[in-house]
Amino acid sequence: MVMAASSDATVSTGQSLVHMCSTATVRLPVFAGLACVYWRLTVAPRGRYNPAAVQVSPWDPESVATVLDAQGSLAEGTDVGSLDVRAYYKRLVAARVLDLRLSRLGLPMWASCGGEEAPVVATALVAQPNEWIYPGVRDNAVALARGVEPGTLVDQLLGRAQPGGVALPRRVSSHELRVATTTDALGLHLPIAAGQAHAASMGAGGEAVFALFGEGLTTTGVFHETVALAVRGNLPLVLVCRSQVWPDQAPPEAGVFGDSVQERATVCGLWSRRVDGADPIVVWNTLSTAATRAREGSGPSLVEVIVTPQVHNPPPHRDPIERLRRHLDAQGQWTPTFQDVVEAETHQAVEDALVANGWATEGEA
Amino acid sequence: MNVLQHLSGLVADLLREDDRRIVLGEDVIDGGMLGLTRGVASDEALRSRLVATPLTPSVIFAHAAGLALGGRRPLVILASTTALFEGLAGLREACMLGWRTEQARSVPMLIIAPCGPGFSLGGDASDGIEGVLCRLPGIRVLMAGRAQDAGAWLNAAALQADTEGPTVLLLPRSLLLRELSGPPNATLAGSATEAQLVRQGTTATVFAWGETVEIALAAVARTGTDTAVVDVGCLAPLDKEALVSHACATGKIVIAHGSDQAVAAELAALFADQAILHLDAPVTRIGGATGPTTPGGEAAALPSVDRLAEAIVSVTEY
Repeated sequence: MVMAASSDATVSTGQSLVHMCSTATVRLPVFAGLACVYWRLTVAPRGRYNPAAVQVSPWDPESVATVLDAQGSLAEGTDVGSLDVRAYYKRLVAARVLDLRLSRLGLPMWASCGGEEAPVVATALVAQPNEWIYPGVRDNAVALARGVEPGTLVDQLLGRAQPGGVALPRRVSSHELRVATTTDALGLHLPIAAGQAHAASMGAGGEAVFALFGEGLTTTGVFHETVALAVRGNLPLVLVCRSQVWPDQAPPEAGVFGDSVQERATVCGLWSRRVDGADPIVVWNTLSTAATRAREGSGPSLVEVIVTPQVHNPPPHRDPIERLRRHLDAQGQWTPTFQDVVEAETHQAVEDALVANGWATEGEA
Repeated sequence: MNVLQHLSGLVADLLREDDRRIVLGEDVIDGGMLGLTRGVASDEALRSRLVATPLTPSVIFAHAAGLALGGRRPLVILASTTALFEGLAGLREACMLGWRTEQARSVPMLIIAPCGPGFSLGGDASDGIEGVLCRLPGIRVLMAGRAQDAGAWLNAAALQADTEGPTVLLLPRSLLLRELSGPPNATLAGSATEAQLVRQGTTATVFAWGETVEIALAAVARTGTDTAVVDVGCLAPLDKEALVSHACATGKIVIAHGSDQAVAAELAALFADQAILHLDAPVTRIGGATGPTTPGGEAAALPSVDRLAEAIVSVTEY
């Protein structure tokens, strides 16, 4: 596979981050006056699944469930149930556009989550409208995928007060859309979510509660106490863990770290699965199963999703958006125009909100 | 019947009144360290609402907050205020949930903890925590004063939690083992957030809360002066208007506190700011010793009746 890696982005703030964010498959041309991110996508092989063409790289995690191979071919017999793959793809792209644009603002304490979209967006889709999601501090895309307007989201992220409300800087939440606020103390949203699941289990039941977090939290006491509570009370809690195979700063040669949150959770008595975050379909499928279990009263679960941060500049098939794009393309459901429209929708809304907040548009930056 | 037994019955009543209520804490299924859930544990209909939580206090508070968000009314019973020091992170998150959600989600949770000297535990058992708690945004901190009022404080605190959000009720240990003389008060004279005038007087005013209320009453009786005693009771938020008005009434002020100086310092600053033109003597603070104590030396964490009486005479004659 030949992939062109380039970035035409000319903003000075966060230049290196932008460069790293733009993966091999992504270009970010900047047109003055038409501030629109779009993706120049290289030729992806069409056609049926061909095992010989599968690129196995040291970037691919071991012992993970996958249904979509590197070329975007779906394993035979995979049931995607009620999933609207195109709609799912649109939300993943929207999440990436938001992340790329906000990364360029140079906000203090901001960390890009490009490449980690699948578990975040899938959780938002799997959760029913009445079910609460407790996101971690970087999971802003939950709110976006849940239906919070990009403009509102940017206002909240930048701390601009909402009409009739108070400014909640750097936090995104929505009471109507059941997106809970994050906590200042890292990880305390887990026992709060467990508490809400506890309340749900004492009520009529049939309701799951979701909590998102990164693997760094799984060494803390608050994580293990939450697991103990959830197992003991058979709580309808779905724990969604984003794991990085290679922790920050470790070179790819370091290989798989070897630790599996899923194994630890299993030992604690949780129903748990370990899936590939570069495969959005398996992420959605597994989370759907976990949510159904919770709603049926079968108890708590943990889904460990191995994500590959795009800032590490991995090969393109490690990008969940690119992999799903290959799948849609092979199905004849993807065109560059479709891509442009999807990106422009989010991008324009974000840009408008930034202007309203006093930030220069990308073209002027 | 002692105060603890009385409170144990009231905890069961609280659960009977409202089936959203649920009790969390270590060993609560067996009655708890203080026996406060014995009444609940002995009632088959209520037992299922006792949840043993062998967790760190921070997680207990966060879990209780989640239960509250989910429509329950959790009552967390702690064995000691030390757990509040340990659980500050979780308590802080619980207190801020209202603000974070623009009051769209309410957090009706009540925490009960014994505080101060009284059980000869020594160590940090008598270390006051009210100053630390009061500065958490959005919290309500109440402290029971006289033994006869303990039950009334529990009911009032439950009501505060239901309507205003996270509330901590501190129960002075020195009151808990006291035998009740006569029927206990079912309700407070005023609302829980109101400073109560527990003794009328014209020459000076003693501001007290928790165990120092009864010490103040004894000290006033010893001096034979016509001194007023105010039970501050609600330490956060402070009922500033009423407190200033009580201070202005006599212009001679003694503040009696335990080992924590913070609330007393806040009151002194408040009077210096808003009652200065009515003051006829320096604002005097009489408090207990700070820091850990030996089991036998716990009493030092509270001011003695003698010291307080001396201070009352001193400001009266100033």
